[in-house]
Amino acid sequence: MDANIKFNTKNLDLFYGDFQALKSINMEIREKEVTAFIGPSGCGKSTFLRCLNRMNDLIDSVKINGEIIFDGQDINGTIDVINLRTRVGMVFQKPNPFPMSIYENIAYGPKCQGMKDKNQLDTLVKESLVKAALWDEVKDRLNKSALGLSGGQQQRLCIARTIAMNPEVILMDEPTSALDPIATAKIEDLMSSLKKDYTIIIVTHSMQQAGRISDRTAFFLMGEVIEFNETPIIFTNPLDKRTEDYITGRFG
Amino acid sequence: MGRKAKDVLVKGIIYLATGITLSVLLFIVGFIFVKGIGLVNWDFLTRDYNEKVVYAFVESNDVPLNIDEETLNGKNPYDKRYETAIEGPIYVENIGAAIAKVAYKNHSTEREQFVITYIEKDSPLKSAIDSTGKSITIGCDYILQSINGNDFAGLTLEEVATTIADESGELKIKIVQPGGGIKSNIITTLYMVLLSLIVALPLGIFGAIYLTEYAKPGRLVNAIRFAAECLAGIPSIIFGLFGMAFFVVALNFQISLISGSLTVAIILLPVIIRSTEEALKTVPMAFREGSLALGATKLQTIFKVVLPCAVPGIATAVLLSIGRVVGESAALLLTAGTVAQIPGTLFSPGSTLTVQAYYVAKEEGNIELACAIGIVIIVIVIVLNILSRITSDKLDVFNKK
Ligand SMILES: Nc1ncnc2c1ncn2[C@@H]1O[C@H](COP(=O)(O)OP(=O)(O)OP(=O)(O)O)[C@@H](O)[C@H]1O
Ligand SMILES: [Mg+2]
Repeated sequence: MDANIKFNTKNLDLFYGDFQALKSINMEIREKEVTAFIGPSGCGKSTFLRCLNRMNDLIDSVKINGEIIFDGQDINGTIDVINLRTRVGMVFQKPNPFPMSIYENIAYGPKCQGMKDKNQLDTLVKESLVKAALWDEVKDRLNKSALGLSGGQQQRLCIARTIAMNPEVILMDEPTSALDPIATAKIEDLMSSLKKDYTIIIVTHSMQQAGRISDRTAFFLMGEVIEFNETPIIFTNPLDKRTEDYITGRFG
Repeated sequence: MGRKAKDVLVKGIIYLATGITLSVLLFIVGFIFVKGIGLVNWDFLTRDYNEKVVYAFVESNDVPLNIDEETLNGKNPYDKRYETAIEGPIYVENIGAAIAKVAYKNHSTEREQFVITYIEKDSPLKSAIDSTGKSITIGCDYILQSINGNDFAGLTLEEVATTIADESGELKIKIVQPGGGIKSNIITTLYMVLLSLIVALPLGIFGAIYLTEYAKPGRLVNAIRFAAECLAGIPSIIFGLFGMAFFVVALNFQISLISGSLTVAIILLPVIIRSTEEALKTVPMAFREGSLALGATKLQTIFKVVLPCAVPGIATAVLLSIGRVVGESAALLLTAGTVAQIPGTLFSPGSTLTVQAYYVAKEEGNIELACAIGIVIIVIVIVLNILSRITSDKLDVFNKK
């Protein structure tokens, strides 16, 4: 097995009740790269992403067949889901900071894991905020509610919160779709800088964004992965006609 | 009829309906206030309902009268129960107090009694103790019945004053502490509120957590919800009967504070479950997902993120519950009793304000007193309302930007 493969899915099917949302997905996701998922609305990008940290457990009707191998372990097997989620973090489409102080938001995850030492937490909070390029903006108001931040700041806070867990993988589901271009640019910069430490998987509707930040891109359609390749190839020289149609905007 | 005329007519009806509703409300509250306000004063709030006979031990000590006789006469703080003095008042130096003879009405009987009408600043009565050495308060309107074994019955005020003045050294005075107050009912009400909330809040909150966070939607959950809703609609007398059969008799808790508060706790459960459930449901799914995605357990998510968001809703539940306990009469009548006393233990009876109001109105025919209690109830409810509003604003995590 290739040591650089972080996630490896084999014949992954997912059903919401009777509706099959993912059809036999085989994908290898490499370590310390940015992988982008693109595709039309409703094609199963979020569903697939949520499989990777088992967020679909929350939905009762979901049935999964096939394997998802994470670092050599099947995550639907005996693996501890709490442990999995500390290693595979997630940033959501809509910023969802908890209604607590900025400090408490970042310290939340580590505290849940049992970290109590105040100094250790202080350092961790600062480090995470620095990495998420938010420190300078919030260092004077760490004890103010996170709900008072702007949308872009809130999203960076959510990224900082995820970084504080020191995960191996960060999943991001359209993290910039609720943000203006300036905030988006900041988060894209952030992702490029995070790439050297983390494996990043991002769902995006912006072709430009995928082109700018990702190393590899997967094109989803109706629950299937049509094409998965290095980003430049997908965007300049796709093998499948449907990929080309989608990328050039002739789709639909 | 034109459209305009119709408009005016409908508007008129709406205003009229509003007006009637408002004036009925105002009339009721006004009626209660006008009827009862004459009785509401500090003594009313701080005295026991029943009068109590005590022996006070006092070191006699001559204290001169510091005000002139005329002022003394004008200073008679007669209780509502006696119109004017039959004789007196006369100042007695060795106890530093003035006494008067009054016609004392107690429920149906009327007797002549000697009451204290004024106490001098340095009066030895201020440092009275009982037979165990505990200090007791003696105030105006307290009735004197004997001193060192000399009974006052049948004497004139003049004779009583000399009897007292003739004694010296340590005096043993038989005193009747006047009743008519509702201190015990206020305290019983507070106990009842506290105890029933202590029982019902955790049960209700955990029940609501189970229903919204754990239970898979389906028949069972619907059945539980249906049961809770039915419970909410059942008149409280039914719960009272159950409480009487189960807590009072079967568990042998007697008619007591504990029987009453457990019965009321059952009445409160549906209210608390409902409002907590509503509050939990309004907490965005995104918070739960965010927390779980950070590797928090379900329990951590519920207690650290979801519940704090639901606090304002839970505060509303507490408020409604308090209102319910304070207003409850039928169920408590059967389970906690009508004894106006401060319950010494969980297993002693005690009547809340509402039960007391019912009792004095029904059994003693004393509408005025019932209305006075009504005023206190209204004030308590309003105060609690304001308090819980303030606290729920303070605790609202979404308010703290
Ligand atoms: N909880 C659910 N229950 C049933 N069906 C669902 C559920 N969530 C998603 N689906 C269906 O599964 C399919 C894939 O949904 P998914 O959210 O993964 O799409 P997506 O690619 O992320 O779309 P978008 O770009 O709009 O976010 C859709 O047809 C959707 O209707
Ligand atoms: Mg999606």
